[in-house]
This record gives sequence, C-alpha cells and structure tokens, in this order.
Amino acid sequence: MFEASIRQPLVEGNKSIADVSNDICAPIENKPTKLWWLGFSISFVFLMVMVLSLGWTVWEGIGTWGVNKTVMWGWDITNFVFWVGIGHAGTLISAILLLFRQKWRMSINRSAEAMTIFAVLCAAQFPLFHMGRVWLAYWALPLPNAFGSLWVNFNSPLLWDVFAISTYLSVSLLFWYLGLIPDIATVRDRAVTKARKFWYGFFAMGWNGSARTWHRYEIVALILAGVSTPLVLSVHTIVSMDFATSVIPGWHTTIFPPYFVAGAIFSGFGMVLTLLIIVRKVLNLQQYITIGHLDAMTKVVMLTGSIVGVAYLTEFFIAAYSGMVYEQYAFLNRAFGPYWWAYWTMMSCNLLAPQVFWFKWARTTPWFIFMLSIVVNIGMWFERFVIIVTSLHRDYLTSSWAMYSATITEVGIFLGTMGLFFTCFFLFSKFLPVINMSEVKSIIKSRE
Amino acid sequence: MVAWNVQNVIINLISTFFISMSNSENKYWRGIEELEANPATLENISNEFSDKLPMEEILGDTEELSSNRRDFLKFFGFSVSAVALAACNKTPVKYAMPYINKPEEVTPGHALYYATTCGVYNEGFPVMAKVREGRPIKLDGNPDSALSQGSVNAAGQASILSLYDINRLPHPVVDGSEVEDWSEVDKKVNGILAGASGDVYVVSRTVTSPILQASIQKFMEAHNAKHVVYDPISYSGIRGANKESFGADVIPSYNFDKADVIVSFGADFLGTWISPTRFTADYSKNRVPTPENPEMSKHYQIESLLSLTGTNADYRYSIPASKQGKYLVSLYNMLSGAGGDLELPGNALKQIATELLAAKGKALVVSGSNDKSEQVIVNAINDLLGSYGSTINLSASMNLSNYDEAAFESFVNNAGKAGAIVLLDANPVYSYHNGAALAEAMKNVPVITTAMVVDESSNGAVVHAPNNHTLESWDVYQPMNGHYVTSQPVISKVFNTRSTAESLRTWAGEKVAMGEDQASHQWVVDFLSNDLGQDANKVFHDGFVQKSTGGVSSSFAGSVSSASSRIASNYKESSGFDLALYQKVGVLDGSSALNPWCHELPDPVTKVTYDNYVSISRHDAETNGWEQGDIVKVSGNGAEIDTLPLLIQPGQARGVIGIALGYGRSVQTNADNDLVDLGKNAYPFVQSSSTGTSYLAQNVTIEKVDSGYEFAQTQTHHMIEGRDYLREATIDEYKKDNAVRNEHKFETVSLWSDYDYSKGHHWAMAIDMNACTGCGSCVVSCHIENNVPVVGRKEVRRRRDMHWMRIDRYYSFQADADETASVRVGPSNVDQEFKKGQWSTMENELAGLDKNSASGDNDYGHYDNVKVVHQPVMCQHCDHAPCETVCPVLATTHSSEGLNQMTYNRCIGTKYCGNNCPYKVRRFNWFRYNKNSKFDYHFNNELGRMVLNPDVTVRSRGVMEKCSFCVQNIQMAKLNAKIENRKLEDGDAQTACAKACPSNAIVFGDRNDPNSRIAKMYKNDRSYKMLEEVGTDPSVLYLTKIRNRKEEVQS
Repeated sequence: MFEASIRQPLVEGNKSIADVSNDICAPIENKPTKLWWLGFSISFVFLMVMVLSLGWTVWEGIGTWGVNKTVMWGWDITNFVFWVGIGHAGTLISAILLLFRQKWRMSINRSAEAMTIFAVLCAAQFPLFHMGRVWLAYWALPLPNAFGSLWVNFNSPLLWDVFAISTYLSVSLLFWYLGLIPDIATVRDRAVTKARKFWYGFFAMGWNGSARTWHRYEIVALILAGVSTPLVLSVHTIVSMDFATSVIPGWHTTIFPPYFVAGAIFSGFGMVLTLLIIVRKVLNLQQYITIGHLDAMTKVVMLTGSIVGVAYLTEFFIAAYSGMVYEQYAFLNRAFGPYWWAYWTMMSCNLLAPQVFWFKWARTTPWFIFMLSIVVNIGMWFERFVIIVTSLHRDYLTSSWAMYSATITEVGIFLGTMGLFFTCFFLFSKFLPVINMSEVKSIIKSRE
Repeated sequence: MVAWNVQNVIINLISTFFISMSNSENKYWRGIEELEANPATLENISNEFSDKLPMEEILGDTEELSSNRRDFLKFFGFSVSAVALAACNKTPVKYAMPYINKPEEVTPGHALYYATTCGVYNEGFPVMAKVREGRPIKLDGNPDSALSQGSVNAAGQASILSLYDINRLPHPVVDGSEVEDWSEVDKKVNGILAGASGDVYVVSRTVTSPILQASIQKFMEAHNAKHVVYDPISYSGIRGANKESFGADVIPSYNFDKADVIVSFGADFLGTWISPTRFTADYSKNRVPTPENPEMSKHYQIESLLSLTGTNADYRYSIPASKQGKYLVSLYNMLSGAGGDLELPGNALKQIATELLAAKGKALVVSGSNDKSEQVIVNAINDLLGSYGSTINLSASMNLSNYDEAAFESFVNNAGKAGAIVLLDANPVYSYHNGAALAEAMKNVPVITTAMVVDESSNGAVVHAPNNHTLESWDVYQPMNGHYVTSQPVISKVFNTRSTAESLRTWAGEKVAMGEDQASHQWVVDFLSNDLGQDANKVFHDGFVQKSTGGVSSSFAGSVSSASSRIASNYKESSGFDLALYQKVGVLDGSSALNPWCHELPDPVTKVTYDNYVSISRHDAETNGWEQGDIVKVSGNGAEIDTLPLLIQPGQARGVIGIALGYGRSVQTNADNDLVDLGKNAYPFVQSSSTGTSYLAQNVTIEKVDSGYEFAQTQTHHMIEGRDYLREATIDEYKKDNAVRNEHKFETVSLWSDYDYSKGHHWAMAIDMNACTGCGSCVVSCHIENNVPVVGRKEVRRRRDMHWMRIDRYYSFQADADETASVRVGPSNVDQEFKKGQWSTMENELAGLDKNSASGDNDYGHYDNVKVVHQPVMCQHCDHAPCETVCPVLATTHSSEGLNQMTYNRCIGTKYCGNNCPYKVRRFNWFRYNKNSKFDYHFNNELGRMVLNPDVTVRSRGVMEKCSFCVQNIQMAKLNAKIENRKLEDGDAQTACAKACPSNAIVFGDRNDPNSRIAKMYKNDRSYKMLEEVGTDPSVLYLTKIRNRKEEVQS
C-alpha cells in the first residue's frame, strides 16, 4: 500500500495484524477492570434514576415537571434535540467519510456508530414520555386500526419526527451490526469458553471470511453508507421543522434546517471526542486512536461551530430586518431577557470556544480537547434550551408571558438518560470490539 | 353461560385435533391427472387444500366434527384469549336508575329552566336555573327582570356550588350530635326558649323576604324576642343621608344608562357596590359609540384604590380616601359657584364641575363612602344637577341592607346576658369588627342557628337547624322596592334541612305542615295572591313581579353647611397609613368562603387568585424600602394582622393601603384544600360605632417581617409592549374616522386552499372592548359550563390555571412631567424623551421612568396615572389554526362550521398545539383533577360532582383542552330548531360567556346569517382580528376601545 512519507501513519506503534486482534480483543477476553466496574456502576445508578423519574412522571402526570400553560416544552424536547444531535457524528463518520474514502475514520467509526445508536435511544425517551398519555403513543404510528377512520396527521412535523427517528435508528443499527460481523467472527474464532463461542458464533451469522463473503460485505456496506448519507442531513432537518414550521417568533425561521444539521454534527463530534479521549486512555488504545484523529475531529468541530455561529448572527440580522416586532423582541429577549445567561452560555461555548482550535497545540493536546468537548456539549444543550424555552416564554400576547424552570423530575430524567447512554457504552466496550479490527488491519503499515 | 360455552368449544376442539392428526397427506402425485399436467388439476394443486375446507361443518352444530390442525389452532387461540380476557376484565358495575314514575316534563338529556333566585348579597337575585335530570347545574340571569337583565355576576354564578357543598350539615345537630328527626330539634329549642332567663334575640341579615319577616314576627311574638339585623357591609351612610335629605331611609336606584357624565368618588359600582350586575348592564348601554351616534358617557373616577370601576373610567384620579369628603365639598362649592379649596391635578375638579353642570339632568355623582355627611354632600350635588328623577330613583329603592349599627351594638353589649340567640344565616362573629368579644359573650348563651355550615358564629351552637339552600326553597323576596322575586325549589332537598321560616313558626308554636316545604309554598302562594293580587303560578313562571310603588319626595332638605362642617371637623391627618378596606369581585364579603370558583377567579385588577394582601403605591413602597412580596405586619386601632403579603398596585393613592375583606374564614370543612386558612381577616379594622361604619381606618402602621411571598397570579406581565393586538383610540379620533387604528389591513396569503364556509353556519364571536368592564362573570360562567377543573394556588403559581377564557388586563403609565427615560434596547441604554402626558406601554420604558424617579425626587408620579384595558381572550377558533396542523394524531380539527374542535379521546398529549398557539389559550391536564385528593375541590366528592354539566366531558389526565365555543349549546340549539322544523335564529345558540356578560360585550352567532348581530359586527369599522398578520384568520373579532378623553401630551 502506498504511503506518502510526509503523512503520519494512521495507526502508530508499528502494529502487526496479530497485535491488532490481541489489543482490541483484550477488553472482551479479559475480566473487566476496576475502572470499568466503577464507571459501569455509576452509569447504572443514573439509569435507575431515569427509570424512577419516568415512573413518577407516568404515575402522577406531566405536572411533575416545571412546564406550564405558556412553556409547554422544556427540558424534555431540549434533551430530545440534544441527544438526536449527538447521534449525528456517528453517521457522518461511518457513512459520509466512508464514501469519501477517509481512511482515518477506520479506528473511530465503530464507537461513533455505537454512540449514535445509544444517543438515539436516549433521545427517543423524550418524545415518548413528554406525552400526556404515553400509553397511547402507538397512536402516532400509521397503524390500521379499529377505532373508526382515525389516521395520523401527515401535516404534523411530529409525525415526520416519528418516521425520521425510527428510520435513523433502524438504518444506524443495521449499519453498525453489519460492520460488527467480521469482528464478532474474529472474537468467535479466538473464543476459549463455550458460551463465548456460542453467542459470538450466533451473532457472527456464519461468517467464514471467504472472498465472496468479503465482497458482499463491502457492497452492502457501501449501499448502507449510501442510504445513511441523506439521513445525516434529513434527520436533523426534520427535527428542526418541529420549530421552523410553527408560528412562534424565534421558531419560525427558514434557516433552521442547515443550522440544526451543522449544530448536530458539531455536538456529535464534541461527544465523540469526549468518549474517545476516555476510551483510548481507559482501554489503552492510544496507538489506534491517535492524536491525528483528534486533530482531524477538532477541525470539524471548529468548522461546524463557526457555521452555527454564523447562523446565530444571521438570525439576529433577519429578525432586525424583518420589521416584525414579535420577531425582533424574541431575539432581543434571548440575549437580554431573563434567560440571558442561557444565551450567552450558548454563544461563548459554541461560537467562541471552538475558535481556539485554530492553534495546533489546542488540536493536539488530549486533556485540553477533552475539556473543550465538554464545553461544546454544554453549549449545544443550551442552544436547544434557548431556542425552545426563550421563544415560548415570551411570545405574542404579553399577558401569557411566564417563566419556566425544571423540576427535580426533569433533571432526574436527563441525568438518567446520561446513565442509559453510558451504561450502554460500557456494556458495548466490554462485549464488543470498540475498534473495527478488520478495517484497521487494512491500514496498518506491516500489511505491506 | 359464556364460560360453559367456551368450555364446550374447547372440548370439541381438542377432540377435533386428535381426529385431524390421524389424517395424513399424500406426498406423491395425487393421481395420473397431475402427472399428465391436466390444467384443471394443476389449478387445483396451487390451492393449499384441494378440497374445500369444511368450515360450515365446524361452525355448525353437527355432532361429528371433522377439522384439521390449523382450524384447531385458530379456534384454540381465539378461545384462550377470549377466556383470558373475560377473566381479566372486571367490568365495573354501574347502575342507571330509570324513573318509576317519570315526571311529565323531564326528558333525560333535556335541560329545563326554572325562574328562581340566587342568594348572593342576600338580595334575592332573579335567575334562571338550568336543571338537568333533577339537578340544577347552572344559573343564568333572568332576562326579563330589570335587576339582572339576563346575567349574573361572578359570585352569583358561583353560588350554585354552595348547594352541593360537602361542608353543609347533612342533618340537624342537637348538643353536638346529629339527629335525623326534626321533632327532637323542636323539643330542644322549645326547652331552651322556655328556660331562657334573659332576652331572646333573633339575629339575621337584612330580611328581604316577607315570608321570613312574618315568621320572625310570629317567633318574636311567641317568645317576646328581639330582632336585630346584621350585615357585614353597611350602607347606613347612604340611608342616613337620604333620611336627612329626603326623609326616606333608603338606598336609591341609580340609572347609569341615563347619565352622560358619571363621577364616582370611590364607588366600585361595576364591581361590588349595591347592585353591580345591573349597574354594569346599564353603564355599558351608554359606553358604546356607533357611527350613527358617536357619543358615549364620560366617566370620572376619583378613588384611593384602583377598583374595577376605576379601571373603566375615562379619567381616573387617585386621592387619599380620608380626603374624599373634602373633595366632595370642593366639588359642591365649585358647582354652586363658590371656589373649592381642593383641586385635582390639572384643575380636573373644575373641569368636572363644568362638565357636570353642562350635563344637568343627565349627570350622576356617586360615592362609595359609608359616611352620612359625605353622602349628604353627594345628595346635594345630585340635587344641584337635577339627578333626582332622572339618574337617581328614590322610590325604586334597594332593600339591600337595613343594618342599624346602634341596635346591633346594644345587642353585642347585652349578648352575654341573653337568654338565647337565634342566628339566621348571620355571621357576626366573623365579620363584626369586634367579633371576638361577641364570641366571648355568646359562649355562655344557648345559640340556635339555621346556618347551612358550621361557621364562626354557629360554632358551638347548641342547636343547628340547617336552612334549605335557596335553590331548594319556596320563597319570595323584595330586593328592590316593588320588585318581588320568587324562588322555587329546583331540586329535592339534598340534605335533611328545613326552611328557616318553617323552623321559626314551628318554634313559635304554630302547626306547620311537614314535608317538601308544603307550608312555605302555601305561604308564598298566599302572599302572591292575597297581598299582591297576582296569579301565583304566573309569577313562579316569570320569576318576578313588579308593583308600582308610592313616590318619594325628592326635594332636598339636607343641610350642606352642617354636613361640610362635620366633614371638616372629622378630618384628621393620619400619622400612619390610611387603610381602605374593600371587597373583591369574586369573594365579596366572604360569605362564599368555601366556594373554589370565587377564589380561582383572578381579581380583575391585580390578577391575584386565592389570597388577600396589602396593596400599596409604588411611591410608598420605595420610600420605605419595601418590595412586592414582602410580608408585613399591619396594626392600628387595636386591630392587627400579623402577616400579609405586600402588593405594589399602580394607580393607588399615596399614603393609602388596601386590604380586601372576606378572607381569613375559619369554617368547619371536610375538604383539605387551599380554601382552608385562606388569607387574613381584615374585618377587625372596620371602624364601627353606633353612628355608623367606616371602611377606612387611619393611623395604621406596617412593619416588614419577612419577604419573598409569591402571589398566585394568572398574569405577571402587565404591559402590552407597544404591540398592536390591543387597539384603542379617543372619541375625537373615532368621530373623525370610525376605523381609527384599523386603517391598516393586512394582506395575508395562505398555502392551503381555503374551505368554503359560505354554506351552513359559520360561528364567530365579537368582543366589544368598550362594553367589557372586566368583571369576570364570563370567566366563572365558562368555568361552570365546561366542567373546568379547579387547580388551587400552587398550580396557579406554576402558571397552570385551567380557565378556558381569561381576561387580560394591561396597564399603561403616563409620564407626570417631562422626563428622560433610559430605555434599554439591546445591550445599551438609549435615552428617550418622555413628554408630560405621554403614555408608556413598555416594560423597559417603565423601568427607565422608575430609574429616573428613584434617582430624582423619589416621586414615581407615573404610577398615579394609569390607563387600564381589559381584553377577554378565549380560543380564537382560527380558520387557519396553527394548532391543527401540528397535532400528529389529528386530535384537534376544524369543523365545517368554523369551529376548532378538540377530540379529548384522541389526544395523546404532545402539547405541540399549545406551544404553537399564538394566543396561548390551550390548557393541559397536567394532573388528574377529578377524584384526586391532591385537588380536593368539588371534583373530588360525589356531591360536588353533581354540579358537572353532563353535556361536557370531564377531561382525563394528559389531554389538552380549550374553549369549544360551547359546542354543546350550539348542538342543542340546532337540534331544537330541527325538532321545531324551523331555521336556527340568531341568539338560539349562545356561549356561556356571552350569556353571562352583563354588558353584552360578547356577541356570538352565525356570521353567515346576514341579519345576525355578529354579521353586523363584521361590518363594524371598529372590529379587528387579533394578530391578523400571523395569518391565523381567527373567528373572534375585537372592537377597538374608545375612550372619552383627550390626549394631553404637552409639546
């Protein structure tokens, strides 16, 4: 394989093919470390917090939240958009970068895809449980029914959400699983216990590593990448239409689709960075997830952060230019109203903070990148909070203006989805190869 | 039966299974035909079974069944799930009781209306009770009576719930234990009365019923008893003044419709003063300018607190209540040609005098004061203006109160020595200024009470002989001289009660026919036919009868000079605050303390629910360093309230604080809700003596004890921020251009192809903001009609009140001098010039003016001059409704008649519709509000639920709800028209709010009917659609508010 001498190798440490298998299968084949148990336990506790909080919500009613007659969506939809957004990096890395033949993606796509799936699972909790009657949630599906002529409303962006999110989840899951098959087969082949042999054998679906199998695998991977690519754009476009198609000042904005997609990729990469910097340290995979990866991803963060920043400023300009008092007030109120702190948190985290990545030091220092990735996550959460709450709390009729603050139940649900996310991620890191071994093997130097 | 059948089927099927197992299928060619590929055979082979399945055989009753495995599985699966379902589902048993003897007029599902009365203000207010299946569920005004003119005020609407109050005594109580038999009550009472060692007193509120009056008379004769009248709110000032001026101890009738210039000194005649429903109806008749007659009355309000009436005035001035008499004298002097020594800002009093004189015979001056001297001056002024006989009618006087302070004071002084006290619904222990002393005195006296609940006065009574509710009684009242109103029972007695009149006569030794008030009925019939010479049945049908009355001389004989010298000598400078005690529109004197509707109704001015509070001017608060929500101790004149929250009230006079009466009740209650321990009792501050009662206490001090109280307000932002959805103009502008403020018409485009509404009905509403006074009657009416839940103080605080319609109240503030307000626009402050007289409608402007005031002379003058608008808002039934497109399950849809419909059963509660509503009128069921002990109001007990409207669903938790334009009434009207084979007429279908509105500000109807009132509203130049530019195409019109004032911005 040709390798330009000025390029940094994609995998460091002069690994052999056997090294790759040994290194990446190690967490699966060995007993989990104390660190893993600690992380898993904490995550699991938070997961239980989610179960309790959701249980309380369903038992008592949405009244256990802080939402009111003016601000009917609060942390729930904020978290929904936040989690959906986080999912986007996985799809982008696995699909678009595959199509563009970006080989550096190979050691990070697995965990990024896993992150996508877990994030979408977390996201799905919110549209589900924000319903007053969650037990009737299936009514939002176009199922033939015996209730008379009842049908769903195809005009409603919420219904588009149902389709967008379910498509996204199923395609992502399929894509992720497909990529896993050769690696699961590797684990199966190395298995020393019967149980491992059975279960990995079951999920390897009879993978035999023949040329024909590989050929078909690659074709399907490309097809799925082709299917996923539009999803990167469409899912958050549709989520943004929940707001853009409404009549509420601050929501009713045509800039939302591109702005939300950029924001989603921005936040997704933020989360990928957060996770991978931990993973490479904890699972000792620095030579696979290299500084080069971090460098590349921070560039994406900087780019999308700046796009989002331009969108923020454009919104302001359009509001001023529109000549519509309600629109103008909505934006002034964001920046200088009672929720000014949320707005300026958003601005500084999303627009200003990523600009440090112009400096090479900032792009190549893992602890600094880690901190910045957290800042990006916070900023993007606040972006959704700002859009949803500050637009609603002061809209047209001033008599209905109200304040909103979350209750402990809402906070519990949000922290709980964090628990769900990390529980899934810890289980994933224990039971499945966090790096795509088969692909990485194709890019290591010793292959020549 | 079912179980047996299922068992049989299973046994049959199991046997079938074994039979079918023995059949085996041919694996080879089925015959030579198949080998030869005979087309018919090949076609047959493509079917799974070459022979037709013996379905009929299986399903038939044939004993020998031949079936196969698949059929077995089908039936087995069905049977098992059927059995499982039948076993799981325990269907609740519900009883529907048919009538054994169906009353002729009752048809289930059909409402009947009876003319009767409601008991608010003790005045016998004429109403129509809507009765469904034997249950009264709603009160509307009697449209034919001049007293109600078709509507009832908020408290009157709400009073129906007192019928279904779980706190009512179910049985009479003797010596602390319930008895079922009234003869035990009578035995005990006779024993008490026979053994009474001192005087026997009958204490009642003002009696307007001749039946009750006669019964009291008989009781007094039998037991040598004394009758004392006690009313919590005294009108002795007006009565005394009229006695002095005209020799008639009366409260006159005021005709606000006949007045072109109205000057009110602190009289809240649209809210609580004398007969507010009637006054509102009259007042609004002369407040709506039309192109043909572009005139309206001019209303000046001079008061210390900002009252509901004050919010409707064209010009309003705040003066300290203690100086009101002096201002009246000044006005008198100005009118009579002499100069007055007091003046209002801008020489307004002089201007008022000029205008009053110009409108001679069409002017009216009223005062809310209960001071006789002040009322004499008012009489003198009205006499000067020729009001008697035109705007004031002395002969049609109101029998609202004949409370005599001197008589009652002597009763209080002698109560300890009384032999027995009979309380007839009067509750002086709570509302008498010295109620504690009275309670102490009554401790050792046997008390007999007829109160329906155990209140402060009847707590500790030996005998509770609970009275019937008004809606359970036969009675006749004379609320206005010559105006007799009858009440008839519209429900069988809910509890074991007996009418007070019957009790009294029984105790007087008379033989009274027992049973369903036969005696009372007979007395009323006798009175109507013998005393009034009327056909009793006709009167019961009409609900009232009017008799001509003798005239009262209206030649003024009072002495202005002695009255004015009394005012001058009584005037004292207050060293502390003046405390003005007032009534709130919903709560009134406090007698409806346990009625949640009265408390959930926001105060029309402050928008506060549930609490009373100390209202104070911004200036006084700033000078003392107090803030809204501070908790203060109020003391003075021997009375004290240890904690009450402080509320800054624009428009309030400096040096005056206001506290509402009617709170701090301690009634024995079976419910655990926010109505228990609600607010603080301010009655001890009332200044009462044998000569009169004053609701103004001087030298009151306030001390801050805590801070951070959060009011349960339904509206927390009070300015319209210069927005266009609320339009107002002056009368001069209107005269120049009838479409003033509505000149700009929006051109809206739609992505959708519009539905053609031109056929059939197209329902619409119009709200005339000139007629609307903001009284809140519609809010309560809607609450009752549509089974809207009561949510309590905490939920209101969390901004989750459920009112389907609300009245938005906005302030604007007038700069009192040329000022520079530092207005924050974006990150920087911009200096904005405010000319004297210029109005500020934006919060940041106000903040700028405040800042200027604080740094300057600590003045806050702009708070003294406020302009108020009331804007009722309900679902606008947009023809391009934003809520409809966003619902994922089509739970909210549009009807072909233009209604925005809400299908509760389909709603899954995403709340997206609520977010996307520009008017924020959608309400979500955050909790289950019925049968939930956390919301222990009438939805939580069997009795209270009887008031529910059976035509309207009680919504479950997790669904959205909102105004439906009372679709149940529309449907009923349409059906009735169909049954009667006629076209629907304008007015057949009415919404609850439109029916309740005393000022006819709300017009509802079919805009496709060219002759309807609503169709005419669409042609009215004043009409506009709120937020038209959003493109929602609402079906509710608003009519620009016109004020009869000149804008006096000095340039």
